[in-house]
Amino acid sequence: MTRITNFSLPITPATAPAIAPPAMKPQESGGSSFKSMLVDSIQQVNSMQVDANKAVESLFTGGSANPAEVLTAVQKADLAFRTMMQVRNKLVQAYQEVKDIRI
Amino acid sequence: MFSTLDISTSALVAQRTRVTAIASNIANVSTTHNEAGEAEPFQPRFVVFEADNSIQGPGGAPGVKVASVEISNVEPNWKFQPGHPDAIKQGPRAGYVAYPNVDMTTEFVDALEATRAYEANVGVIEVTKNLTQQSLKIIA
Repeated sequence: MTRITNFSLPITPATAPAIAPPAMKPQESGGSSFKSMLVDSIQQVNSMQVDANKAVESLFTGGSANPAEVLTAVQKADLAFRTMMQVRNKLVQAYQEVKDIRI
Repeated sequence: MFSTLDISTSALVAQRTRVTAIASNIANVSTTHNEAGEAEPFQPRFVVFEADNSIQGPGGAPGVKVASVEISNVEPNWKFQPGHPDAIKQGPRAGYVAYPNVDMTTEFVDALEATRAYEANVGVIEVTKNLTQQSLKIIA
């Protein structure tokens, strides 16, 4: 059972306790809540993909884009997306583990 | 995480500019007059690189950028062609035409070097890509 608590270590900020206090008050101050961290990273990945899309469009419609730069933008977006997906998979896995606890 | 990719890409762009300059030199190998129609041979171009601090990896490793495209001032190749419209009319070189001093051997060796440098940087991008994908296996 100690295994499950370890999952959240790299993801949640050190200040947030692993088990929520009974008050269940969501973190409103600070703005560094887990939710905003997640949304921020998704938005970053999305903006990378939008950049890659623009670059590809510019390349294929005869713009002045350099092929090397365009392909790097695509590769960056791909790697960022894969990283995000891995984090998401890990979160879902942790959630499943907690869900399967019998009470 | 992606600054390594940016550094390698800056090198790709720079080497490509170099290949463009070489292409221009070879294309103009027999150009004997300028846009204004005056008899002036094409002077070979060469590209000067400099470290680009606007692209920086962790620890301050810079990328590369084209500082300038310089025009070399080599002496032209003189050929005796009195019937040529760009031939010199009077003076000690009367009847001679100034041809660009583009050395094919040098240009092709430079092109080969630029191509190899390009390939090397694509190789570095491949390594960076693999590293990132390998790191993802830690969490998977």
